[in-house]
Amino acid sequence: MTANHPSHPDSAVASAASRGRFVPLVLLIAAAALWAGPWEFTNPAAPSAPTPAWAIDPTPVRRPKLRPEIDLAGFTYHCSDCHRHFASPPETVRSLTQHRHIELRHGINTRCFNCHHLTNRDALVDDWGREIPFDQPQLVCAKCHGPVYRDWLNGSHGRTNGYWDASAGRRDRRKCIECHDPHVPPFPPMPPAPGPNTLRMGDQSPVDHHGGTPNPLRPPGRGAHAEPHLTPPPPPPAGPPNMEDRQ
Amino acid sequence: MSTDHRRDGPTPPAGREMTRRGFFRKGVAAAAGVSAVAAALSPLRHLAPGDIPSVEEFLRKHYKEMTPEEKNAVLARIAAAVEKRFGVRPSLLDPPPLDGVEFVYALNISRCIGCRKCVHACVAENNQSRSPEIQYIRVLKMEKGSIDVETSDHHYAPPVVPDQDSYYMPVQCHQCAKPPCVKVCPVEATWQEPDGVTVIDYDWCIGCRYCEAACPYWARRFNFAEPEIPAGELNPVMGLLSNRPRAKGVMEKCTYCLHRTRRGLMPACVEVCPTGSRKFGNVLDPDSEVSYILQHKRVFVLKQDVGTLPRFFYYFDERGSRYHEPIAPVRSEEPT
Repeated sequence: MTANHPSHPDSAVASAASRGRFVPLVLLIAAAALWAGPWEFTNPAAPSAPTPAWAIDPTPVRRPKLRPEIDLAGFTYHCSDCHRHFASPPETVRSLTQHRHIELRHGINTRCFNCHHLTNRDALVDDWGREIPFDQPQLVCAKCHGPVYRDWLNGSHGRTNGYWDASAGRRDRRKCIECHDPHVPPFPPMPPAPGPNTLRMGDQSPVDHHGGTPNPLRPPGRGAHAEPHLTPPPPPPAGPPNMEDRQ
Repeated sequence: MSTDHRRDGPTPPAGREMTRRGFFRKGVAAAAGVSAVAAALSPLRHLAPGDIPSVEEFLRKHYKEMTPEEKNAVLARIAAAVEKRFGVRPSLLDPPPLDGVEFVYALNISRCIGCRKCVHACVAENNQSRSPEIQYIRVLKMEKGSIDVETSDHHYAPPVVPDQDSYYMPVQCHQCAKPPCVKVCPVEATWQEPDGVTVIDYDWCIGCRYCEAACPYWARRFNFAEPEIPAGELNPVMGLLSNRPRAKGVMEKCTYCLHRTRRGLMPACVEVCPTGSRKFGNVLDPDSEVSYILQHKRVFVLKQDVGTLPRFFYYFDERGSRYHEPIAPVRSEEPT
């Protein structure tokens, strides 16, 4: 349209022609540039982080021996090796000379012989003074923890490993003390495995990288913004708490 | 404007007129068209050798229509492709659903401590992509006293868990009895198996992601890029419908570890759970753990109002069974 200016028809036609000659050239250069791919696709996905080995380790939290043994100075002793020679100290004053590494924080259950047999130290004790073998610790726990014992018997409490189909293979019901330290029974806290970092979730750091617009789905002070996220949890030094046998 | 250009030069003979301006215009249009086509085709240069399906892959039938011989051929072809890509000979099987078995999951939210070990065991077991990251399980950290998932947090990273003011609710595929994801699939690439597990035929999926949008639990994941699995971490025990390596552009989801559970084993998340919060079994067996839980414990399902009838149940214990937690003294409300 501008080339048809009535006052300068010839110059307008010439300029249009010279300009037009370059248009295919420019487009060809543009096509070549596109072909060369100057804008490489940058993957927004975070690089893969190695999975910590302890996070996929299915071994139980504790590995109790389920035997009346104690490891001292590189040797393994039966409890009765000592206790058949030495009388038990009076328990009303709990000033131990041995077993000082045992920390007893079991609620109101602060007496050794509530669970350990008074005369036969290779056994545990039930409510009537009869012996319970060391490999049946759930019978001791059941003395007080009735509802949990009921749930454990029926499978709604406690770990089950192996086969859900009992006809196909072995099913392991984990015993109480494979998760709970009998002397400090609450389940031990552990560091969490690394959290998600998927594409769709994007950057979840509390510092907003998108023009200062807060995420309307995450009101401040609750949920994701309540705590810093980009600080990874400190790696556990030796995996999950895998306590030594203390019985 | 359409008639103005006639004044620019001599009138050409009728029928074969080609003005200079018209020539340029056609040249511009042709060059623009060629360059646009070239630019549109330029992603083809990035094709990897495996991106173009072979004739066998292209002519493959739907999973349900395959004869056993055809299925064996597919298994052998996929196993060879996996071995070529990862250098590991997989044992790729397609275990059929068991008779008289309906899988049900139960999760004790009063025992879950939010350690996320299930998440990573699932990733390792099911050969999910490490980058971009795909995880089937989300562990929601919930405020005690509420069940509002909108304010939950799955990015928590404290030094240790559990947080005393929170509880944790892991969410994964609920294997619904009325799965909306199956209903919306336009190509029937996903369906519900007789044992209650909703599976995907990864070779039939077109990647439209309708199922991801339909799922009320956000249990389906999409492979936006070619899945990256370190060769040393590949799980060689594979199922055709569960954990064989997926391709770019297909959906995937939790299958209750079909390759394990159809052989009688527990899913990987159950195996690894340190607290025993996760329970799995056959609900048709009256002696199974999940049957006891459904009959005797306090059970709820997530988003019951959407009517999907999940096979994934949350349950919790009586308060008196949590001895280590202090029980708040009950205020006396009665006037004396």
